[in-house]
Amino acid sequence: MRHFLVMCLFAAIASVVFGAMAKDDNRERWLYGLKVFAEFIVIGLALGWLLYFIPW
Amino acid sequence: MVKTERVEVIEPTPGNAWMIGAVAWFVPGLGHALQKRWIRAALMGGAVWFSFFIGLQMGGHMFDLSASEGSSTILQVPPMIANIGTGALYIVSWLLGIGFADDPVQAARATYEYGNTFLLIAGLLNYLTMLDAFDIAAGRKP
Repeated sequence: MRHFLVMCLFAAIASVVFGAMAKDDNRERWLYGLKVFAEFIVIGLALGWLLYFIPW
Repeated sequence: MVKTERVEVIEPTPGNAWMIGAVAWFVPGLGHALQKRWIRAALMGGAVWFSFFIGLQMGGHMFDLSASEGSSTILQVPPMIANIGTGALYIVSWLLGIGFADDPVQAARATYEYGNTFLLIAGLLNYLTMLDAFDIAAGRKP
């Protein structure tokens, strides 16, 4: 569980910066930041499961 | 048929923008603060500072050109470039010897690699922050 929380923290930090510097208005920035956050989490979990099945 | 030509006028980058870029690199968030972009300064600079200190707290290790046992100097360069992105935070830590020791006890901590990652990301995010501050100062971004 701690590993997942650290991954969430990492995703939050990165998505704050990405969201703040992208797009033109605040609503788009929020949406972009949330999208980046979700992508980090989903891709991280997907890679985690993929690596789980690889024995080496 | 009439041919039209598009002429692009390239305006020179104001000198102020280079100064803002340098300041933004040296102190994360200050480049935006100097331009009175308080929220961006707090969010982007805050993310860099937070990532740096959480990385140190997790026992992360920063890179310089001194090769540790079993590795070469050239392999230290890419992560060192990422670490240097934190500007003064890196320099002060280097001068004080914080986060640079090759300590096997520290390396055995469960959060050691996480700490490394947070320290690397702090530097890389600050490069983005610096470029954003530069673009605002150069008038390329609202």
